[in-house]
Amino acid sequence: MRKDFKKDKKTGNRKKFFVRRRKACKFCVEKIEYVDWKDVKTLQGFIPERGKILPRRISGVCSLHQRKLQTAIKRARAIALLPYATD
Amino acid sequence: MRLYDIVVVLSPEETPEQVTALVDGFKKILTDDGAQLKIEEIWGRRRLAYPIAKRREGVYYYWQVEAKAETIAELERKLRLSDEVLRHLAVRADEELRRSVKLKKRREAKAAAKPKKAPAEAAAEASEPPAEA
Repeated sequence: MRKDFKKDKKTGNRKKFFVRRRKACKFCVEKIEYVDWKDVKTLQGFIPERGKILPRRISGVCSLHQRKLQTAIKRARAIALLPYATD
Repeated sequence: MRLYDIVVVLSPEETPEQVTALVDGFKKILTDDGAQLKIEEIWGRRRLAYPIAKRREGVYYYWQVEAKAETIAELERKLRLSDEVLRHLAVRADEELRRSVKLKKRREAKAAAKPKKAPAEAAAEASEPPAEA
């Protein structure tokens, strides 16, 4: 059993052992405390094609900044800087 | 007096004269009531992210003002009444601003507290700070 397992590790299925890089919160890294709802360029990075807000499990944003980002995006949507939905 | 961020989206069909007249009217409401205009930005004609009242473009104005809550309420009432205004948004800016200053201070305090333990390390870090964040 053990031997088999070892073999497996050596030969195949590299993907299984692929080490995922830890995502860092963009706002923490750049030391931005205030997520500006007027800054469309930054916000757009968190809006995939469909126009939804990118979940933080994908973007890696910390919970504090995700909450701020959320209100910022919603404000920008209200004045048509960002779309509510696109298809 | 509180700090507010205000954005007004005007219809693109208005002539420049009409736009300035409207905008001056709005600003007058603010200043007449003792509000102070801190920042004015004219973003100009922008594509709307979605059509509003069959329009695809809008003329954007942004102000940061220090005003009383009643003044903002009055301005918002006027904005809602005028047909030329497609969208408007007035939100408080002072709370977020204060919070960000506080957070910044806390982080700086943290950074200042660190070098005491290992001065040599901190010096090395200071010379190349954002390399490995």
